[in-house]
Amino acid sequence: MIDIQKTLQNLGIDPLNFGVSTGTEWFDTTGKIDSSSSPIDGKEIAQVKTATLDEYEKVVQKAEEAFKKWRLVPAPVRGEIVRQIGNALRTYKADLGALVSYEMGKVYQEGLGEVQEMIDICDFAVGQSRLINGIALQSERPLHRLSEQYHPLGIVGIVTSYNFPVAVWAWNSALAAIAGDVVIWKPSSKTPLTAVATQKIIRQVLIDNNVPEGVFNLVVGRSSVMGDNFLADKRIPLFSITGSTSVGKRAAEIVGRRLGRTLLELGGNNAVIITPNADIQMAVMSTVFGTVGTAGQRCTTTRRVIIHDSIYDKVKDAFLGAYEKIGQKIGNPLTDGNLVGPVIDIHAVNAFLDAVKKVQEEGGKILFGGQHLTGPGYESGNYVVPCIAEAQNQYHIVQEETFAPIVYFIKYSGDVQNAIDIQNDVPQGLSSAIFTLNVREAETFVSQTGSDCGIANVNLGTSGAEIGGAFGGEKETGGGRESGSDAWKVYMRRQTNTINYGAQLPLAQGIKFDI
Amino acid sequence: MIDRNITIEDLVDDYPFAVGYLSEKGIRCIKCGEPIWGTLKEACIEKGFDDKQIEIFVKELNELNNLNQI
Repeated sequence: MIDIQKTLQNLGIDPLNFGVSTGTEWFDTTGKIDSSSSPIDGKEIAQVKTATLDEYEKVVQKAEEAFKKWRLVPAPVRGEIVRQIGNALRTYKADLGALVSYEMGKVYQEGLGEVQEMIDICDFAVGQSRLINGIALQSERPLHRLSEQYHPLGIVGIVTSYNFPVAVWAWNSALAAIAGDVVIWKPSSKTPLTAVATQKIIRQVLIDNNVPEGVFNLVVGRSSVMGDNFLADKRIPLFSITGSTSVGKRAAEIVGRRLGRTLLELGGNNAVIITPNADIQMAVMSTVFGTVGTAGQRCTTTRRVIIHDSIYDKVKDAFLGAYEKIGQKIGNPLTDGNLVGPVIDIHAVNAFLDAVKKVQEEGGKILFGGQHLTGPGYESGNYVVPCIAEAQNQYHIVQEETFAPIVYFIKYSGDVQNAIDIQNDVPQGLSSAIFTLNVREAETFVSQTGSDCGIANVNLGTSGAEIGGAFGGEKETGGGRESGSDAWKVYMRRQTNTINYGAQLPLAQGIKFDI
Repeated sequence: MIDRNITIEDLVDDYPFAVGYLSEKGIRCIKCGEPIWGTLKEACIEKGFDDKQIEIFVKELNELNNLNQI
């Protein structure tokens, strides 16, 4: 069992913490004092002093000053600092992983995995720092050179959600930092302590390398301070927002009004298709992690399982068997062996219970779970039994994303294209998967007539993306791509250069303009 | 005291009973586990409620709050 008090001590978390930092300096702010409680046992972990508008303004000014210096540091040198941040995270992996689990409620193994993801993106960014490249193009004009290059963009606003309280900051800030940008991080109000801890972990690296104050900024603030005004701030050219479609739409409108950029990673309604050609055992084992991992609170959680009618009963029985076992492993996520922890709070419990009720009202049938757990071990009131419900894709509740461990089983018949059509028939488009050993079905799924999601997997589930591939989705998921591949380009401004090294002035398209 | 300009975040934190009340009116305060951004008034308008209805909601929420304090 993890000693949380020791974890907090190791991470420098006090009973009352400052919530605003420009890197190495912390500010004694005068905003509301927020309390952070653990969904595991309901106990207060610690408090954080939040920012006022004046204090936010000071941070933005510091970030502006820092950007002017940071953009002049060579990218590989910036990469070296990110490498050291990755190493600092390695040192504190166990402690930060434990705090992630305690403050957010995910099982400890997933807490460790989240910190590993931070380390992985740092490694990725280090390599990328030497690969920020432009292209040379062929000019139609003689003795002209045409090329494109990328420059740092400025301040990046990062808004993160409670379900990945620190990894998403790392996805964005590691790439932003090597791109020459500076960041202002608004963490979830539900998980401010993991943010404070992360800022403390990177502090020594910033001191050791004389990183300008204001490159890595943290502002814990209420939405009245870090809300619309933050999004409307013209000094911030890019916002990376992780959250609900509702928040994303609002952010896109406000930032779009001033023609700023947004990188949106919003809701998902992810499906797994299991065809008659699937390895059913593999499909079930993989999909169960997707449905109940992080207590159903991942953007990539499997919300729907679309099963061919010829194998439906077999798949259903296999799932029920797996859920029976899972049902014995619901509890404190810091205890070895438990696989499902609490949801974040009582509101999430109510959303779960509401979904269980609504699916039945619409004609669905509960196959497993759906209860609120009470009694010894569940005193916080945030534990539920993961639910499987038979449903139709067109039900209103199925079309919505319920951020809790409820999965809908949907039958399909005939060709795999019928399953793909069902899968695509939701407003969201984040992650998707198919289980089949048939190459035609697999290739159809990833083809232009296949999944319309940003992520389409074959013979693995919808959740658990690794650093390397770009992460994000289509439709109401927002269209953003982050953390891998060429996502670094989002954090930079592209410039096209035409250099005339001749003595003539030919115009493009052969236009004559003789004076 | 709840007024129409209270942020949903503050409403959820300080008056948690409001989440259930507004849910019954078709207004979801929590999405993806986080409070939605904006004020009570904005959330109501988005769902098609007019000024008069918002006034009733505010009044009833304050009455509920008074009952909770008894």
